[in-house]
Amino acid sequence: MTMPNPPVLPQALLHVLLPVERRESVVGDLLEEYRDTRVLSMGRFRANLWYWQQVFGFWLRDYWGFVLPVFGLFALRDVLSVFRSPSGHPYFNVEFLFGLVTMSPFVFLLTGAYGSWRTRRWAGGILATLATFIAVWLLITAWWNTTLYPFALIQQSNPYWIQAWQGSIHGAHAPSLFGFNPKSPSESFLRWAFRENVAAQIVVAASMLGMAIVGGGIGSVLGRMTPRRPGGYTQVHG
Amino acid sequence: MADVLGAFEQAVLLSIVRLDAEAYGRAVVREVSARLERDVAAGAVQATLERLERKGLVRSRLGAGTPVRNGRARRFYTVLPEGRKALNEASAMHDAIWSGLTWPLKART
Repeated sequence: MTMPNPPVLPQALLHVLLPVERRESVVGDLLEEYRDTRVLSMGRFRANLWYWQQVFGFWLRDYWGFVLPVFGLFALRDVLSVFRSPSGHPYFNVEFLFGLVTMSPFVFLLTGAYGSWRTRRWAGGILATLATFIAVWLLITAWWNTTLYPFALIQQSNPYWIQAWQGSIHGAHAPSLFGFNPKSPSESFLRWAFRENVAAQIVVAASMLGMAIVGGGIGSVLGRMTPRRPGGYTQVHG
Repeated sequence: MADVLGAFEQAVLLSIVRLDAEAYGRAVVREVSARLERDVAAGAVQATLERLERKGLVRSRLGAGTPVRNGRARRFYTVLPEGRKALNEASAMHDAIWSGLTWPLKART
């Protein structure tokens, strides 16, 4: 009888994500658990979900430290940008924080370097960076969509944001490339905020993906070139 | 005194002690899950094992694979004397903290 196998993609991801000295044993452990216990007790579909969950858990434990700083800076900048003094001036130098946010290529570089150093594969660094990018972007998107409405209620009574809204909807209406222009002089503040929010998500996704590929690529090459002891393992073969 | 072991580190180390010669990755995960009475992620146990090995509290060796693992090697773990010392210290500290109190504590109304 043919034994069931976990989905190919998470198996391949796990292979790339694990340090070389742990790869065989960990992949074997998960395969054994999947075949011996999970498929029998949960069924194939839930066992596959369980496998995905385990792979995600391995990635998360190694790389959450790279995700949180970038997301934290984005969220902090967002809060300080929204909550302004009645005159519209920020309480804190937002441009400084914006400078820190643009450090994210450096974080991706570090992620790539750490990933390839840890796995001894440049592909490990690239995968770690791309997964970090996806996690950061999902967190930012969740943050923006969750805070959109409550923040817009605060923003619409601040002169700074009223000016930004008016400036946007009454701005020059140059015909766009595809004859599509969502801006309208009668656009409400909430609708404007929503449209800006969607646009920001797309722009951040595109720019951050570029940073992840470039930063992660450079970092992966650097990390691969850095020598590494085999993680303190006592390599005794029995 | 060695670093104070966290509760999860103690659970992993004690599982290795209990499993003795059968203490390989998956068995440790199952033992820890059974003792803690919750599903434990393999990544959490592996990260702890890696840390304990780096601290010199356990050592590992590769054993033979089995057909159900597609022949992939098992990594067997052994608690080193430093690990046993750390466990004894953790247990002594636990006893000292609880000394003079009866378990379970009665709720005050």
